[in-house]
Amino acid sequence: MVLFKKLIINYPYMFAVILFVIGILTVLTRDNLFKKLIGINIMESAIFIMFVAAGNIRGGKVPILDGTLQREGVYINPLPSALMLTGIVVSVSVTAFALALIVRLYKFYGTTNAKKIAQMRNGVTEHDGNDKS
Amino acid sequence: MMEMIKANLPVFIIIAPLVVAFLLPTFARKLKFVENLVIFVQVLMFAGIGYLAYIVFSRTLGETGMSYRFGGWPAPWGIELKIGNLAVFFLLVIVSVGLPVALFSKGNLEKEIGAKERVTRFYVLFLLLCAAMAGMALTNDLFNVFVLVEVATLSCCGLVSSRNHPRAAEAAFTYLILATLGSALILGGIGFIYITTGHLNMGFASEGLGHVWRESSHVVWLSASFLLVGFGVKSALFPLHIWLPDAHSTAPSPASAILSGLAVKGYFICLLKFLYNVFGITLLREFGIDKILVIAGSISIIAGSLAAIKQKELKRRLAFSTVAQIGYIFLGLGLMNEAGFSGMLFYLASHAIIKSTLFLAAGAMINATGKSKINDLAGIGRKMPVTMAAFTVASLGLVGIPLFSGFIGKWNLLLGCFDSQAIFPIIVIIAGSVLCAAYLFPIIRIAYFEPSPKTELQDPGPSQKLAFVLLVSAIIILGVVPGPLLELAKRAATELMML
Repeated sequence: MVLFKKLIINYPYMFAVILFVIGILTVLTRDNLFKKLIGINIMESAIFIMFVAAGNIRGGKVPILDGTLQREGVYINPLPSALMLTGIVVSVSVTAFALALIVRLYKFYGTTNAKKIAQMRNGVTEHDGNDKS
Repeated sequence: MMEMIKANLPVFIIIAPLVVAFLLPTFARKLKFVENLVIFVQVLMFAGIGYLAYIVFSRTLGETGMSYRFGGWPAPWGIELKIGNLAVFFLLVIVSVGLPVALFSKGNLEKEIGAKERVTRFYVLFLLLCAAMAGMALTNDLFNVFVLVEVATLSCCGLVSSRNHPRAAEAAFTYLILATLGSALILGGIGFIYITTGHLNMGFASEGLGHVWRESSHVVWLSASFLLVGFGVKSALFPLHIWLPDAHSTAPSPASAILSGLAVKGYFICLLKFLYNVFGITLLREFGIDKILVIAGSISIIAGSLAAIKQKELKRRLAFSTVAQIGYIFLGLGLMNEAGFSGMLFYLASHAIIKSTLFLAAGAMINATGKSKINDLAGIGRKMPVTMAAFTVASLGLVGIPLFSGFIGKWNLLLGCFDSQAIFPIIVIIAGSVLCAAYLFPIIRIAYFEPSPKTELQDPGPSQKLAFVLLVSAIIILGVVPGPLLELAKRAATELMML
């Protein structure tokens, strides 16, 4: 019962764990390259949620010095949110790069399915693919 | 001006390649200028790092390491760079691989990559990777490590995909997905450390963990395992290595050299910092992580070597050999004594130099012949004497013949095994050497003693030859006079053991 209560109280963390598992499962089991990428994004969001939840304090104020913030009052920790801003930027750039690679793979193979690509690659003869694109 | 540079030297070592990397595309039309600029930046880094090494080396043992504070903020709040023996050691490895690779790439890349504008992009990524590696060596901040790891990962994936070839794109995508999975795990591990201790500075986090790990040992365990798997994926520890052979063999050869020689080790250095500067030896022994490292390293050595023997393509064989050699380094990490550590660090440096020589030589041969199979290299030793001589010296070094640098590393690793009275790793190290000879010596035999087809082949140009001369002389000098570098490795080992 105590464990259950703890789980309920810390629901953002549970949410993060569930998202993380969904993400990792999507990456590992899906063949479609887009779905793999979506899985990666879900997984990263899970980590971001965990960080932001760690900085949050229930009933805490926004940590902006505008004269109303009292020294004794409780305010949330802004550092994890700031860190996750960087994390989101990183995640966006990874997504952009991965999409570019998917486009290139689609140009070469005409499909975005990892299994089909593997089949086609084993059939393709070795050649120097330095075409001018 | 000079004073300013001297005071902020550690930052300049990271900033210089970073800034130049972003300036390069503006000179894209003048390829010669870009190439010379990249070499110039590497020489500058070499000078700066040499000066840092001189400062660190001339300190007496036991003195606390230098640290640099960004913006003058003291440690728990500000970001800190730590210029210790380990950092300087890895910086030296970075330049000693980076400079020859830059020299080798000069005038040679367009043929391999295809289009002219891709060459500039290659250099941008190359410099970004160097900057990220230098940052990883120096930083003392957990979140900084994550950002630098991401910069390095993206530039690595970019380097892999720099050839316009379907297999390169596929390898880069697999690498990107797995590496991002690793980064997410690393970020999670950092998150757990931050949640339990409230610090992102390595020193303070380590202190915090020392107080709280008994109450929340499961969180610390989780964090350690996240970091181990995350960095394990990135540095290609055996069961997590599946991306490496494709990525390293489809990349253009200077990129393979820098990926196999440096990038993998950058992540390893980060793992080393996490395990020893943050968790500390008592905690690792308590959790049994040392045993995990020794076992994973041993499996890596044997499985990587066996897989390498089966490969018929030259670059794939070298890529699998990287998996095996990473095993030695992880094994040394798990030994947890001074001799083992210094051997591991020396082996890391020697493997970085040797593996980049092998990849560059392989690239030169594949470029000249246009064929990538080992059997097609018959008699090439007589047509391209300089290239094949470099390849032979590097092979001897990797196997661990005395008078070459690999021997000193393996010898110290063996001493470490004797110190911790571990019989099993000794057998694995010796078996690994034999297997290494089994997959490298046939190449040399084919290149020298088989009749060659009548084709016109030539050694690559003067700057490529200069790169080979630099690398080969480094291998031989480190093998004959290991003194100063080994001393630095020993100091770094003592530093790690004290924490």
